[in-house]
Amino acid sequence: MSTAAALFALACGAIGTYLARSGLILLLADRALPASVERALGNVGPAVLAALTVNLAVGDGGIGGVEFAEAAALVVAGAFTVWRKNLIWTFVAGMVTLWVVGALT
Amino acid sequence: MTTTSTSGTRRLRWIDRQAVADIVPLAIPAVPFGFVVGLAATESAMPQWVAWLTAPLVFAGAAQLAMITLAGSASLWAVITAVLVINTRHVMYSAALAPTFRSQPRWMRWIGPFFMVDQTFALAALHTNRSPADFRRYYLTVALTLYAIWNTVVPLGMIVGPIVPDSWRLDYAPPVMFAGLTLFAIKRVPAAVAALVGGFVSLATVDLRDRLGIVVGAVAGVLAGAIAEQIMERRPAPPPRSEATP
Repeated sequence: MSTAAALFALACGAIGTYLARSGLILLLADRALPASVERALGNVGPAVLAALTVNLAVGDGGIGGVEFAEAAALVVAGAFTVWRKNLIWTFVAGMVTLWVVGALT
Repeated sequence: MTTTSTSGTRRLRWIDRQAVADIVPLAIPAVPFGFVVGLAATESAMPQWVAWLTAPLVFAGAAQLAMITLAGSASLWAVITAVLVINTRHVMYSAALAPTFRSQPRWMRWIGPFFMVDQTFALAALHTNRSPADFRRYYLTVALTLYAIWNTVVPLGMIVGPIVPDSWRLDYAPPVMFAGLTLFAIKRVPAAVAALVGGFVSLATVDLRDRLGIVVGAVAGVLAGAIAEQIMERRPAPPPRSEATP
């Protein structure tokens, strides 16, 4: 990615993020969003994050290129997230599983 | 006059201490995440100084990681779309705190939202009943503390990144962290449906060029979540229980 393209992406990301955070405070402070819109917005995060997780985990090699250790790391990281509710545990459990299972297989 | 000023200063210091005590436990989980963002920045197709600038200018971990990781493998517009879509949830935070910010001075209404990340919102939402001045002090102390921590950890990750051997497989840290964030984001059944459909459609479309599968999966997930909302709304409410269970 060229420097100009990277700077353009950065500018769009920064401005767009700021507008998402400030838009309703600055422009629509006296009105509330319809409940259905608020509920729909609540589903955006899980949908995007799940799509990102799968796409990054599978990578360019396709589903056949996923190693057993990588799949195991995701499963264990997910289990620790649910159990400990703490991203430090998510990171440690996932990476340790990747290293241990990767060394064994 | 002096007594009033002294008690005012004491009150502000007490608010500062409370705000720092509240944000530190919430900031601890962000430390390894910021470290991963820093590590990813060293391997990004972006120039490293631009990747670093995402920390002070975007200040949104998942969006930063997406931008840094996707740069080079996805098209420019796919990168921008992914960042903006990930941060759509901030619209909800903005909507929820808009009534509280209405009583703040203009400069606070412009500057305050820049720092509104998950942790800041979670704490601010618990303190909306404070006086405008006390809320402002609390909010800004929480926000600036987290901002300082984040902007320390990300460069640290960038410094350590090149030293870490490839065999540590830290290239796989982003999907691991995203998996955790996905589960954190699921609070209701429709959100779980949105995540499941988003993940499966992303998997089915993984071969699309420029990582377009992320956007396709996300759109499918949001639509599925909306359908799940409709179905749940139509379900009849359970009848009230006639007697208390022992």
